Amino acid sequence: MAHSKSGSVLLEPPNDVHSPVVPGGELLKLRPSEIIPSKNNPRHLFDREPLDALKKSIRQHGVLVPITVYQPKGQRAYSILDGQRRHACCVELQDEGLEVTIPANVVEPPTKIAALLYMFSIHNFREQWELMPTALALNTVMTELEENDNKVISKLTGLSEPQIQRCKILLTFPERFQQLSLDPNPKTRIPSNFWIEAYPVLNLCEDKMKDLVQDLGRDGITERLVEKYRAKKIKSVLHFRRIMEAYEVGDDGVKAAVLERLRQYIQDAQLETRNAFDEFVMDNRRIVGAINTCDEFIRSIQRLKIDYALERREVKSALEKVRDFAQSLINKLEGGDPPAENVEE
Amino acid sequence: MLPQFLGRARALLRLRGYKPQPVTPKSISNWLNQFDRTDRRLLLDLLNRVIYISEKETRDLLVQRNRSLITELTRQGIPLKKIIYVQIDDAGSSSAAMLNMLKEAALLERRAYAFLDSKDVRGLHEATTKLGDGAIIYVDDFIGTADQFCRSRDFAAEYILETFSEFLLAASVCEEALYALGKRGIQARIGRLHSINERALHESSSLLDFGNKERLLELGRQISRRGSLGYKDLASMVVFYRNAPNSTPWLLRGNVFQKPYVGVLPRTTDLPPRL
Repeated sequence: MAHSKSGSVLLEPPNDVHSPVVPGGELLKLRPSEIIPSKNNPRHLFDREPLDALKKSIRQHGVLVPITVYQPKGQRAYSILDGQRRHACCVELQDEGLEVTIPANVVEPPTKIAALLYMFSIHNFREQWELMPTALALNTVMTELEENDNKVISKLTGLSEPQIQRCKILLTFPERFQQLSLDPNPKTRIPSNFWIEAYPVLNLCEDKMKDLVQDLGRDGITERLVEKYRAKKIKSVLHFRRIMEAYEVGDDGVKAAVLERLRQYIQDAQLETRNAFDEFVMDNRRIVGAINTCDEFIRSIQRLKIDYALERREVKSALEKVRDFAQSLINKLEGGDPPAENVEE
Repeated sequence: MLPQFLGRARALLRLRGYKPQPVTPKSISNWLNQFDRTDRRLLLDLLNRVIYISEKETRDLLVQRNRSLITELTRQGIPLKKIIYVQIDDAGSSSAAMLNMLKEAALLERRAYAFLDSKDVRGLHEATTKLGDGAIIYVDDFIGTADQFCRSRDFAAEYILETFSEFLLAASVCEEALYALGKRGIQARIGRLHSINERALHESSSLLDFGNKERLLELGRQISRRGSLGYKDLASMVVFYRNAPNSTPWLLRGNVFQKPYVGVLPRTTDLPPRL
């Protein structure tokens, strides 16, 4: 169980932290226009199909379960704590000309931490949520609660542990890099995933290419990767995985070659990721593919129970063909020839 | 002859201080002389229907609305030090200029919590999470459809704590914008609501009689076949000392770079680049 610096157990945080909803003791009937949706763009949150089913139910029976709202200081309308979907349906029904009122439990405005945790619950619903706002909010939660344990944070925020880890990776980058993912212009914004995918590559540089890191600095290498991305020499941020795959699957000789290519890749802004690393990765893919095909062949033949066949001559001849082909390939591989490039027969 | 003279004199008096290109007897003549003599009276009439908001008036509108908003917020438990003022666009934009003007005129410096750019989402996140609750006041001179405003605000809003109430302080807002603002829970404090009926060339306005309006629309189409009524056909008639909104009819603004038609109230971006 995790403890905060102050020694308190954070799975059971102090009351003012984990009790975001303080009932105000009021049940009101509100028009949809008296309620405003979350600032976090909830219209993008919901799948159409379940929303339509809910809308149909509300059209027939009205809103049966009250939503939970609060009134921020200075705001005339109510904000939603729970019930975004019901509200979204009622707005649509109202636009269609139906008079709808929504029963709403009015509670006290949430505390700062509760409001932050609410932001998480909204972000968790988003289909294509941007990682950056979540990472910033997570940072505030971790600082405020003096908590860093992924399990505890996961319980508090509802984020999965891998999501938390991704946010943490994002936060390891200096602010000037994070800022590039906060650009309002989607055309110039660097996607948050860029940093997540680049992170292991930067670690690899730091571990294995100390001279380069000393020369350019980790941030200098990051800058070059950003330049490369902007120059469209990283077509997809997922291509960073090829670098790691190329390094991890190779033997010592290949590893050295990959590192040399990585050095070249960082220094040459024009060298595209796939062009640089596919040769290492493709060979591995061929080998994995060949092994899988062999296994599949054996399994398929076993399934045919060929030993019970009455007409064996044709089968025998076919198997001999396979054997001869396999043997020739084995000979080639043992002899160090390039494997299986012209083996179609 | 006399009505035209009076019309010109009235326009000169009303539109003085327009910064992108001063309105002078010559600029009015240059503008009118591009059209038939028979149309000039109509054009002058249109020009005199422009709602011109001078520097002083802009300042006064913003300061007054801001003062009453602060009083209202203080009464509701939000002191000035819990208010964040936000400009919508880049430095140099009208929003930034309005915020600076307000800051100086209302002596807000060091009294409000922060003055931020809506693009500074990290700053917004840090400020709102530090304060816990409070108000955000967006400041601008003019809001037309609110498209641009909502784009910037929606991006920033993801970083703002939900417990903050949001306000828009603007010298003038077109009535079309109110729905988009209301849907987001943004409470507008407006110096002057610009209704559709005030916009002589707007398709739903009944300010001009049918024949005159049709003639002016035809002249507008000579300048630009499409979109001669400005952005989203708003045909707005509010013009500020600093600039005319992009929803102003082209008949008043003239073509881009003022060729072939010159305008009497060109936007800064309509003027030819200075060498």
